[in-house]
Amino acid sequence: MKRNKKIKWFPVINTAILLTLALICIIPLIHVAAVSFSSSAAASAGSVSLWPKEFTTNSYAFVAKRPAFWRSMKVSIIRIILGGGLSILLTITAAYPLSQPKESFRFRTVYAWFFFITMIFNAGMIPWYMVIRQFGLLDSIWALILPGAVPVFSVILLLNFFREVPKELAEAAFIDGAGHWRTLLTIYVPLSKPALATLLLFSLVANWNNWFDGLILMNNPDNYPLQTYIQTIAVQRSFSMMTREEIQQMAAISDRTLRSAQIFLGSLPIVVVYPFLQKYFVKGIVLGGVKG
Amino acid sequence: MKHRRKRELPLHLMILPSMILLLCFSYLPMGGIIIAFQKFIPAKGLFGKQKWIGFDNFIYLFQLPNFVSVLWNTLFIAIMKIILGLLIPIVVAILINEVKNSALKRSIQTAIYLPHFLSWVVLGGIFIDILAPGDGLINQIIKAFGGQPIFFLGDNKWFPLTLIVTESWKSFGYGTIVYLAAITGIDLSLYEAAQVDGANRWNQIWHITLPGMRMVIVLLMVLSLGNVLNAGFDQVFNLYSPPVYASGDIIDTFVYRIGMLEAQFGVATAVGLFKSVISLTLISVSYWFAYKFADYQLF
Amino acid sequence: MEKRIIPTGLSAILIGGLLLTACSSQTGVSSSTVSSTGETGSVVETGNSAGAEDADPFGKYEPSVKMTFARTVDNDLNDNILPKTPGETIDKNRWLDLYSKDLGIDISYAWSVRGGLNDDAYTQKLNVTIASGDLPDVLIVNRTQLKQLAESDMIVDMTDYYDQYASKLTKEVYNSEGPGILESATFDGRLMAVPYADASVESTQYLWLRKDWLDKLNLEPPKTMQDLRKIASAFITLDPDGNGKNDTYAMAITKNLYNGAMGVEGFFAGYHSYPNMWVKKDDGTLAWGSVLPETKDALRALSEMYQAGEIDPEFGIKDGAKMAELVAAGKLGIDFGEQWNPMYPLISNYQNDPTADWVGYPIVSADDKLPKVPQKFRTQWYYAVRKDYANPEAVVKLINLHLEKNWGENNEFDHYYMPAENEGAGVWKFSPVTPAPTNKNLEAFNEIQKARKLGDMSILKGEPAIIQKNLEAFYAGDTTQWGWEKIYGPDGVFNALNGYIENGQVMREEFVGAPTPTMVDKQSSLRTMELEMFVRIIMGDVPVDEFDKFVDNWNALGGAQMTKEVNEWYQSVKK
Repeated sequence: MKRNKKIKWFPVINTAILLTLALICIIPLIHVAAVSFSSSAAASAGSVSLWPKEFTTNSYAFVAKRPAFWRSMKVSIIRIILGGGLSILLTITAAYPLSQPKESFRFRTVYAWFFFITMIFNAGMIPWYMVIRQFGLLDSIWALILPGAVPVFSVILLLNFFREVPKELAEAAFIDGAGHWRTLLTIYVPLSKPALATLLLFSLVANWNNWFDGLILMNNPDNYPLQTYIQTIAVQRSFSMMTREEIQQMAAISDRTLRSAQIFLGSLPIVVVYPFLQKYFVKGIVLGGVKG
Repeated sequence: MKHRRKRELPLHLMILPSMILLLCFSYLPMGGIIIAFQKFIPAKGLFGKQKWIGFDNFIYLFQLPNFVSVLWNTLFIAIMKIILGLLIPIVVAILINEVKNSALKRSIQTAIYLPHFLSWVVLGGIFIDILAPGDGLINQIIKAFGGQPIFFLGDNKWFPLTLIVTESWKSFGYGTIVYLAAITGIDLSLYEAAQVDGANRWNQIWHITLPGMRMVIVLLMVLSLGNVLNAGFDQVFNLYSPPVYASGDIIDTFVYRIGMLEAQFGVATAVGLFKSVISLTLISVSYWFAYKFADYQLF
Repeated sequence: MEKRIIPTGLSAILIGGLLLTACSSQTGVSSSTVSSTGETGSVVETGNSAGAEDADPFGKYEPSVKMTFARTVDNDLNDNILPKTPGETIDKNRWLDLYSKDLGIDISYAWSVRGGLNDDAYTQKLNVTIASGDLPDVLIVNRTQLKQLAESDMIVDMTDYYDQYASKLTKEVYNSEGPGILESATFDGRLMAVPYADASVESTQYLWLRKDWLDKLNLEPPKTMQDLRKIASAFITLDPDGNGKNDTYAMAITKNLYNGAMGVEGFFAGYHSYPNMWVKKDDGTLAWGSVLPETKDALRALSEMYQAGEIDPEFGIKDGAKMAELVAAGKLGIDFGEQWNPMYPLISNYQNDPTADWVGYPIVSADDKLPKVPQKFRTQWYYAVRKDYANPEAVVKLINLHLEKNWGENNEFDHYYMPAENEGAGVWKFSPVTPAPTNKNLEAFNEIQKARKLGDMSILKGEPAIIQKNLEAFYAGDTTQWGWEKIYGPDGVFNALNGYIENGQVMREEFVGAPTPTMVDKQSSLRTMELEMFVRIIMGDVPVDEFDKFVDNWNALGGAQMTKEVNEWYQSVKK
């Protein structure tokens, strides 16, 4: 009897704890949304918490008329499509050879180290910038995509996933006369769907959220991806050395609701997408060599 | 032999595009590490006649008055993040696993994954608002309970803690995934057998679920060792300000300021190299441990 | 076997595709380099011959020459000026057309970044550009970068080009602050770039006060620092906003301390402390104002005010935009800042509360000596010309024309500066070079005052006329023009500036040379240390006596060496 009572209470407390955690996780975004739908006066008085005050869509109307925002949105969307597609392709084609046992691919250890070292060493901004410039990529979308197109960490995750694929399946395919390519495409890829979905999402998120490279590699603000754009509007300013001419429009620009609207819109696409890929997450992540 | 080469050829071809990209964008720039040993004047360019100064940049660096505090901040913040980043997801994963209603379970997961997908650019803007001492959401709550407002982002006592907590907040939900994966791998018949033996929930968690996750926990613990110098550039950069440099300036933000803003690229590259070498050592040690104790091989 | 051919082909395509991208982009680069050098090459002869014949400051190139720049696109330009100037873009507008038509100089931009010259984004981009050696024809650089470029022989010596090609007006403007402006770009006697002349007088500090609060509490405008401290105390205790709540602070300052608005320099000057600039001591040597003993008095006063609750306890984490929100909410009554403060942030207070009446007064002193009014040297940016560029004098011509069209005898101010037809948008920002006469604002005020006395506003021309129009708009009920009235109205803040000048209170910054070696290495970490320490002292985080330790540290960490180098420079120019 006693034990039964305990069992009944546990799910309630457990659910309560988890719901609280869930709430804590979404509150900040709700707050931003609330500010973005409030009047400027209410927002700058700091009286908005989780529900809009003096509801208005003014700030969205304002954003709608800002071509710079939409241009950056477009750049970001193109970036995640091309960047996500390319990196998933490269992840697959790199992970497969690396997942081969040493006996059937003698160079795999060499290759593996070649990949691994890039995760540790980098020479900093200047050489990196110069190489990208030398390839003539500056100011083009490829400057945002190619340098990070091989996600080494994802390759390692996927190669471990590939190793979990039963050897018999691959062997059977080889006996049927299939080569590496067909084995990869007809056996490994379909079996790895959850992993691939997860890694695709990794890459989408990384491409969407990266802002620093846009700042350095683009020669024209029109080509900034969205996060770079948001960084330039959210940046803190000191007023040393400003002239009257520079200052005149500050008031309109430092508007908090407008900033919130752009921040909210800037995170919306990813927030909308990931729940659809969520069911793959758990299945998708296997750390090599370790079985539950 | 010939047959073998032929058989391996497609494998080489498959990996070639990735190799080319890494060669171009990772290895080619690595040549620039030489800057660490030069008195690098940007205007003279990478291939210009820079003055070689051996290890002077490193010596200069170690003698900088704030370098020790930067190093300490980095270690403290990173290690605390690692510890919380291990503990919280384990607990939450176990709790989630106990939720039987699958719709509820999914919704909770969706919610706690959310922060992981927001960039620090966005979150920086949000937290500066929410943590504001006067009208910020959190301080409104503190004041409602009669407490004194806290300068989370401006007080050296609170700033590191704020970094650690917000990072844990951002990543704990997503961190549960690995553990949930481990839990799903546990043989269900073990639970059934336990129930027959009359074990309650706690006993089951303690004697079946946790041991079932043991390997993953050990492994992640060991692997996270490689991160003790990564305190999170994006986060700190988007949240810090000069008053909290004393407690919040980390290696990466320090490098950024002396490199990108003051154009002391020689020193900046030296710091980067210093960090890479330490990281390499730590990672080697951690993988050796992982291999030794968890029989784990990365590749 | 057959089956394997296709997939191998596939990876071949993949590789081929990649190589192709790499190839095509590389050829793209080389071909564009070729074409651009080709163009410059053809220009060399024509350009030089045009210049050699006669040094005409406004001479037109036939055929025209090309010139590339790098620039910033600030929020004002992006969100305000561009929408108000339909048909014009950053790459095609009235200024670029003018330069092309009148001077035969075709300007294009190698790159641009969002933000201002002072923002990190520009600094970063410029540093990587310089390091990669891929310079545009003209760069806007700061003094440190200028020095590096000059030392590595990457830019043109502009001495002769400036002497020969600068117009009369240009020379007048560049000499208006004594030799300082040009001296700051001079290395070993050679002018290595043309400065972007900026008016030091603009950094003059005033004391902005809520006059309506003073009136309500029956207080007089302050004559001394003691008066001001009393006012501050009254502003927090006597409920000046009359809402029955104890929710006001007195003085606005931000975490950056040294600011054009909501700064501390005007306050410090009241204690004869002049931080954040090089000042001349009584013994004739130069010293960094922040480490002189007077600064300790000022810090003590500020920390007392902080303790008393007269300063927002959160100032240490608030930047200007954040603190401006408090101003807008009517929580603050004292602001030390420059003349433009009523344009922002003070107007936001007025717009929320029309009774808010901010008036600019002269700064006050803690003893019987009038305070000196520090004027920081403002020229910080330089137009440097790439070494191999064929027509270095062209940049001088751009400057000539820019000054001439806005402030010359036959200016077209109303088309090229802030045209009424574009709702007063500052279209001058379209120009890649934007120097302005250093005294233009005060002169405009004095002209308007003169016209007011004569009762005849029709004598005003150019900028004063436009300002007068704004004033009239305000009197007619356009509240957005409030700031103009506060600056240029009969009781405008420039009265205080005239007073400063009459009383000989103006104190110019003494060091205008290029950064010394120690400055390059140490200055920014010293500044960070200074700012951090001062904020902590004000907040009572550490006792005021920590100041002495700070001074010792400052000296030990390179400050003493820096001071020595600055004085060496000073000796060298005094000779």
